[in-house]
Amino acid sequence: MDPFSAEGELLNIHNAFHSGQYQNVIDFDTAALSSENQLPARVLKLRAQIALGQAKEVIAAVSSEEDTPDLAATKALAQQTAGNTDAALQLAQDLAENYPENATVQVLGGTVLQAHGNSEEALALLSKHQGNLEAVALIVQIHLQQNRTDLALKEVQAAKRWAQDSLLVNMAESWVGMRVGGEKYQSAFYVYEELASAPSTSAPLSIVGQAVAELHLGRLPEAEAALTAALEQYSDNAELIANAIVLNVLAGKPSADLEAKLQQLQPSHALLADIQEKSEFFDAAAAKYSPKVSS
Amino acid sequence: MQSSPNMLTKFESKSSRAKGIAFHPKRPWILVSLHSSTIQLWDYRMGTLIDRFEEHDGPVRGIDFHPTQPLFVSGGDDYKIKVWNYQTRRCLFTLNGHLDYVRTVFFHPELPWILSASDDQTIRIWNWQNRSLICTMTGHNHYVMCAQFHPTEDLIASASLDQSVRIWDISGLRKKHSAPTSVSFEDQMARANPNQADMFGNTDAIVKFVLEGHDRGVNWVSFHPTLPLIVSAGDDRLIKLWRMSDTKAWEVDTCRGHFQNASACLFHPHQDLILSVGEDKTIRVWDLNKRTSVQSFKRDLDRFWVIAAHPEMNLFAAGHDTGVMVFKLERERPASAVYQNQLFYITKEKHVKSYDFGKNVESPPMLSLRKLGSPWVPPRTLSYNPAERAILVTSPTDSGTYELIHLPRDATGAVEPTDVKRGQATSAVFVARNRFAVFNPSSQQVDIKDLSNSTTKTIKPPVGTTDIYFGGTGCLLFITPTTVTLFDIQQKKQLAELAVSGVKYVVWSNDGLYCALLSKHNVTIVTKTLEQVSTLHETIRIKSATWDDSGVLIYSTLNHVKYSLLNGDNGIIRTLDQTVYLVRVKGRNVYCLDRNAQPQILPIDPTEYRFKLALVKRNYDEMLQIIKTSSLVGQSIISYLQKKGYPEIALQFVQDPQTRFDLALECGNLEVAIEMARELDRPNFWNRLGAEALAHGNHQTVEMTYQKQRNFEKLSFLYLATGDQEKLSRMAKIAEHRGDFTSRFQNAIYRGDVEDRIQMFKEVDLYPLAYLTAKSHGLTEEAESILEACGLTEDQIALPSLEESLKVPHAIVPTFKSNWPTKAAGHSSFEKALLGEVGAGDEEVADGFEVEEDETEAVLAKDTLEDDEVDAAGWDMGDDLNLEEDVEFVNVESTEAGAGSSEADLWARNSPLAADHVAAGSFDTAMQLLNRQVGAVQFAPLKERFLEIYKGSKTYLPASTGLPPLVNYVRRTTEETDSRKVLPIIPRDLETVASVDLQEGYAAMRSNKLEDGVNVFKRILHTLLVNTVSSESEVEQAKTIITTAREYILAMTIELERRSLSTDTPEGLKRSLELSAYFTIPKLEVAHRQLALMAAMKLAFANKNYNSALGFANRMLANGGSAKLLDQAKKIKAQCERNPQDAIDIEFDQFAEFDICAASFTPIFSGSPCVTDPFTGAKYHEQYKGSVCRISEVTEIGAPASGLRLFVPAQH
Repeated sequence: MDPFSAEGELLNIHNAFHSGQYQNVIDFDTAALSSENQLPARVLKLRAQIALGQAKEVIAAVSSEEDTPDLAATKALAQQTAGNTDAALQLAQDLAENYPENATVQVLGGTVLQAHGNSEEALALLSKHQGNLEAVALIVQIHLQQNRTDLALKEVQAAKRWAQDSLLVNMAESWVGMRVGGEKYQSAFYVYEELASAPSTSAPLSIVGQAVAELHLGRLPEAEAALTAALEQYSDNAELIANAIVLNVLAGKPSADLEAKLQQLQPSHALLADIQEKSEFFDAAAAKYSPKVSS
Repeated sequence: MQSSPNMLTKFESKSSRAKGIAFHPKRPWILVSLHSSTIQLWDYRMGTLIDRFEEHDGPVRGIDFHPTQPLFVSGGDDYKIKVWNYQTRRCLFTLNGHLDYVRTVFFHPELPWILSASDDQTIRIWNWQNRSLICTMTGHNHYVMCAQFHPTEDLIASASLDQSVRIWDISGLRKKHSAPTSVSFEDQMARANPNQADMFGNTDAIVKFVLEGHDRGVNWVSFHPTLPLIVSAGDDRLIKLWRMSDTKAWEVDTCRGHFQNASACLFHPHQDLILSVGEDKTIRVWDLNKRTSVQSFKRDLDRFWVIAAHPEMNLFAAGHDTGVMVFKLERERPASAVYQNQLFYITKEKHVKSYDFGKNVESPPMLSLRKLGSPWVPPRTLSYNPAERAILVTSPTDSGTYELIHLPRDATGAVEPTDVKRGQATSAVFVARNRFAVFNPSSQQVDIKDLSNSTTKTIKPPVGTTDIYFGGTGCLLFITPTTVTLFDIQQKKQLAELAVSGVKYVVWSNDGLYCALLSKHNVTIVTKTLEQVSTLHETIRIKSATWDDSGVLIYSTLNHVKYSLLNGDNGIIRTLDQTVYLVRVKGRNVYCLDRNAQPQILPIDPTEYRFKLALVKRNYDEMLQIIKTSSLVGQSIISYLQKKGYPEIALQFVQDPQTRFDLALECGNLEVAIEMARELDRPNFWNRLGAEALAHGNHQTVEMTYQKQRNFEKLSFLYLATGDQEKLSRMAKIAEHRGDFTSRFQNAIYRGDVEDRIQMFKEVDLYPLAYLTAKSHGLTEEAESILEACGLTEDQIALPSLEESLKVPHAIVPTFKSNWPTKAAGHSSFEKALLGEVGAGDEEVADGFEVEEDETEAVLAKDTLEDDEVDAAGWDMGDDLNLEEDVEFVNVESTEAGAGSSEADLWARNSPLAADHVAAGSFDTAMQLLNRQVGAVQFAPLKERFLEIYKGSKTYLPASTGLPPLVNYVRRTTEETDSRKVLPIIPRDLETVASVDLQEGYAAMRSNKLEDGVNVFKRILHTLLVNTVSSESEVEQAKTIITTAREYILAMTIELERRSLSTDTPEGLKRSLELSAYFTIPKLEVAHRQLALMAAMKLAFANKNYNSALGFANRMLANGGSAKLLDQAKKIKAQCERNPQDAIDIEFDQFAEFDICAASFTPIFSGSPCVTDPFTGAKYHEQYKGSVCRISEVTEIGAPASGLRLFVPAQH
């Protein structure tokens, strides 16, 4: 039986991970799990550690067990997150070659490959999955990053046929919905709202999702309420801050403080990098024009 | 025979055999006449016996309430008919005449008549006003068991053991008695012989029809309230239905089912049903149209004798061997669900409708649920799923069924639903966007189902579960008779359990944090984790509840709307005439459904609970607001405040000195307490004040109270304690003066004054003590003098051994000088709020120009915006489409793998507007567009605007861990999914500019902050330059705002230029005068132009340019406005008119038409050559052509331009 299915014993830890409750994953009591589920549970815990920024600890923890492909893949992700990207890519590519059937390798390897922009390689690896929803979600995300909403949609619809109830499929559908727009914004909103309001799944991840959906629906006051409440609770979440900046701009409010905070927290954030790039672009483009008579 | 699940017993009494029943038409009362000779009056709502009437001798069989008067009539086996007043609780009179048992008695619906049927084989009509028998109807030849008036016509139906039912026509009787205008001989004759035919052969009552068909005696007969139908019940165990026309009557059908004598029967007042009771111990309900049994109810031991229907409500009562039962045939609670601003509910016709709270509008029916359950059983619950726009409806039919139905998009009428999913369950609720839970009590199992109705999960609820409710996202509440359990569906885990018994309904607060568990007589408020917050008990049944947005529970009982705060404080909001089911409360309105499933709005006064809520939350400002704006005073609120420990707040409400004193003491406000004590001036109050002041360490007040009470001992001790020697000695003097030796002694001790003690002892002839005192303090001389006075010598006295003399302790700290700062009696924050409001009223006064017309200006601003004629020279909105071809592009969908184009690229392709290109990040093409449209050449001032738009165009949605967030593109076309039509959102839309930025600019002008003003108006220009609007009319509005901004920038820069000038030189002065004159030229708001004119006028006047000043004054007077300004203008005008000459000649002709060059600030007279800025329309002298516009700082003066585009009409 699929250990992640509705009846499986890994369901709760799995859902906690994907709804962004990383600390709960780490605290999860795995002693009672059956032996074949111990390894996946451990991988999830290690990944939760990585997500919480403890990549170095993870590398140390798995360094002696690199023979296990699952843990090696975890190490690759940890290296990637820790900044040792070349080693991570090398390891991921090795693993992809040697253990392409391993589900952990697929997902984590795929993540590392995609992080390097090797989308085709990542998709090739992920396409070998056997009913692995994480792989599906990753494929959807890669398609979306490539702006191929059509392919992402196909992938989600295929997955819905065999795993309609899964949290991951719901979330992946929402990601696609945010690109499609129209009524899909509302559907995505419902998914995130449901996650954000249930105690077992509420986390910055789901609140950001809810707020972003509100934003796209043009409901700025609601989005603001969600983000403000969330920022009080999770003041250091970069995505919360980034989206709060967007919201403030749209609402015509100053956003400089938040930008400074984001700069301090995560200078590499896409928003900041993007703005920097565009600022330079502006100057270059503006330089082409000048008045006939300078005054 | 199973008892029907839908028969809902509301009340049961225990007594001897009940033979007659009558409902009060308005009050919740029934009269029950018993076989034991007693008549009981019950309140069936409260379940209490109100009264007993015991004057009949033997069984009482007939009973009836008068429809309007406080009367009732009874008839019994003592042959008597008695009329009673239930208010005075007395039998008014007795009607004698029947010669055997009286079986039934009834009042006529309008006339003052009583109809009685008796075993003496007669039916009689009595006039209860003159207490006389007016008609005796003979014809039956056995006991008459029942006789009833027709509700509207002049007919009587009677049933007799002679096996017949008779219909009597009494129109003759009415004629004779209802209009006795003159009493003729014939009338007198007729009255004297009531049973005789009159001279024309008519009798008062004639038999119209004889209905034969029963094979045994007939026990009961009833008319249909509206149709010409009659129903009868007989000892042949049959219920027979008869129909009549004007000329004949015939049997329609027979309802077979009773297996013993049928005792009574009646028509349902509103529905097509017949109800009957019998000695087979059953109540049976029949379908009037099909004559089939609909439901039945059986008692184990008791035979039924009588049944009665409430005239208006859906209530029935049946009398049996051991009492009566009051029951309903069906639940009257309409199934409903609330989502945001909408109520979804099922009407009596089983139509699904919605109701908009905000608009107070009912939708037309959306669906018909006619086929759900059985025809006579209304649906029980409704659960709504907004994500899928689906409803779940349950019906109790067939031991519980549910249906899952999708609502149509638009309500078009009561259509039959398609694609219905159904199943067996007593409860069904949505638990998530795509899941619902159904509960089956027989299998004790909860199934979680998806929207295709297939079970995804099965849960075993706790043993004895009777119902399930939504328990917050992903959770369920299981209700058992004694507990409520919160269960997480996903984790399959019980989260919490609470012992609450008999919960029937669960109502969640709007924010989902709290929930109210309603049982018959209790409300328990719990948190979302099922922790009990408070509980309250009601003696009257609780019917429904809903939450106020502020977290106050509003609930209804049978006859009240009440509130409960989270802490359990509750009270009555209003009374109810009829039972309603609350669904929503908003402001001063409570929305509810009545028993006919009609939405109703009940106005309420929320002041009391808002006040209490504010109190609990310590929101003093709101409390203050409520106190000021409402009449919330009275003893109840004061005692509430006091009880809740807010005496300092209660203090603010009270005038009565005694109460004020009590409250002041309670909150330690000594100042008020002293004030009140002075006013009251009674020892008791001083005493209490003293005790309280002592506790505070406020000894000065203590001193005062002791003085007031003349409590010298305490005073002395107080002075000792505070170390006030001076006052102590004064106390000693007082004691001496009063001749109070004890007190004097005490004071002497306190002061350590030995001499005084000795002196005192001597005065009271206590020489031994005096001697001893002197001796022990070493006052030998004194001792000896005492000895001498007594005539004794030292050796004659045996002294006890003396120890060291007593030392009087001295106060170390001079406490008496001031009070201890022990307990601060400061002002509560509430009092502070009370005091603080005085200061908050100060208004900000606009400095700089003194203008008093802020309000009128805003209005003027609007007017001018609309009225202004727009100089749209650079605004030719021609068809010069730069990107016309691009708009028509075709999106080629590639199916190959590989990256696609991002939505940002689509935006740039989809729109010819610069703002959309900016949002897409395509700054270069945006600049190109602006260059062509308005000749923009200097983009640096637009950088902030560009980045602002760009920043707001994308959101960041975290997806898989380890990868950067997914970028999504924010659209202004939120409904659009066609990739060729999607467009980006542009922050700071026209409305924001008009309502926020423009007002900010005006404010800067008003407060003379011109540099700020210039910046604000330039920002407005830049914001509008890169923007979009949604209609042609908005384009016009945008153009108007651009013009306004231009004029203000021009005016402000002129004035700023003037202020920077030195006026020491004649040239400087001349230029200054000119600029001040030019300042009056731009088209500002009238109020602002007045400011400019005022400034110009004063400057000109001061420099003796009386002619110019006169011109300005005249213009000001023409503009009108503030009286203060006009006064000044009038004065100056008067002075100038004496000498209308200019001392300094300036280049300004007040009568000529001219524009101001925005670069040189010199006039451009009409006809002279000039160039225009393509964006702002600002005018310049020709030599400025090709330079950057001074107003916009972006565009090139005189550049060729196609005109700014802000809007694209819908494209196809």
